[in-house]
Amino acid sequence: MNELELIQGLRSGDETAFKFLVANYQDRVFNTAIGIVQNAEDAEDVAQEVFIQVYRSIHNFKGESKLSTWLYRIATTRSLDLLRSRKSKKRFGFIQRLFGEGNEPLHEIPDFNHPGIAMDRKENAAKLFKAIAQLPENQKTAFTLHKLEDLSYQEVSEVMQTSVAAVESLMHRAKQNLKKMLEKESG
Amino acid sequence: MNIEQNKKTEEILNSLDGAQRASVPDFFYTRLKAKMEKGYEPDATRSWVLRPAFAIAALMAILLINATVLFTRTNNTKENSVVDTDNLQSIAAEYRLSESNSLYDLNVEK
Repeated sequence: MNELELIQGLRSGDETAFKFLVANYQDRVFNTAIGIVQNAEDAEDVAQEVFIQVYRSIHNFKGESKLSTWLYRIATTRSLDLLRSRKSKKRFGFIQRLFGEGNEPLHEIPDFNHPGIAMDRKENAAKLFKAIAQLPENQKTAFTLHKLEDLSYQEVSEVMQTSVAAVESLMHRAKQNLKKMLEKESG
Repeated sequence: MNIEQNKKTEEILNSLDGAQRASVPDFFYTRLKAKMEKGYEPDATRSWVLRPAFAIAALMAILLINATVLFTRTNNTKENSVVDTDNLQSIAAEYRLSESNSLYDLNVEK
């Protein structure tokens, strides 16, 4: 099934087409989400939301970009939305605790271990993910798509709807920031 | 020492190179279909009204409307009171309703 047939199938509500879409793109969407949200359960939720959104809004897809570009865009947007809601919940929980409500303890999220990293690199990767989590949203998106999903700068620019030069600049700043954070961490 | 630290930082920065793509957990499609059949609405479309940005904007709009109404009403009341006094004075003059024009005065005239 080529991309055009797939889009037509999705538009006509064909379940085989939807199954084909999920089977072909689920790992790309999940890997992007897990890189940003750094939690497998949350990443699965994000991936499900992405496919539900695609199924419901395929009529709005104009075909100006590749289907994969559109999927990556939804996946990154949804992942960042989840991070924002997690942050506001954390803030709300803190306020609740100030007023004596909410009994859950405030705890730091444990180090994230990406399932696709080789054993000998796991410790370093955990340190890197901890630093990535502190990057601004657009740097985090560019770095994750390029380093974890192996997208070229051109592809990242299409997903982020920006220029290649802007992506280069984002990557440069992301690396500089990560370097600073890692050096500070190691003392 | 510095060279060693730089080397270590570079190693960490390159630790994602050659990483395998993470795979979705088993039965992902089954769970996805179950969620769709339940009529699931993604969070982003469901609770945009509850977002802090929207709540703050709505609050500011309400405060602004309140302030505008309060301000315009206060001004109108001041203007109206001036106009009312003028009107009353002109009516009083027209009908010769002065303080002296009382029952007592009328009696005296008689």
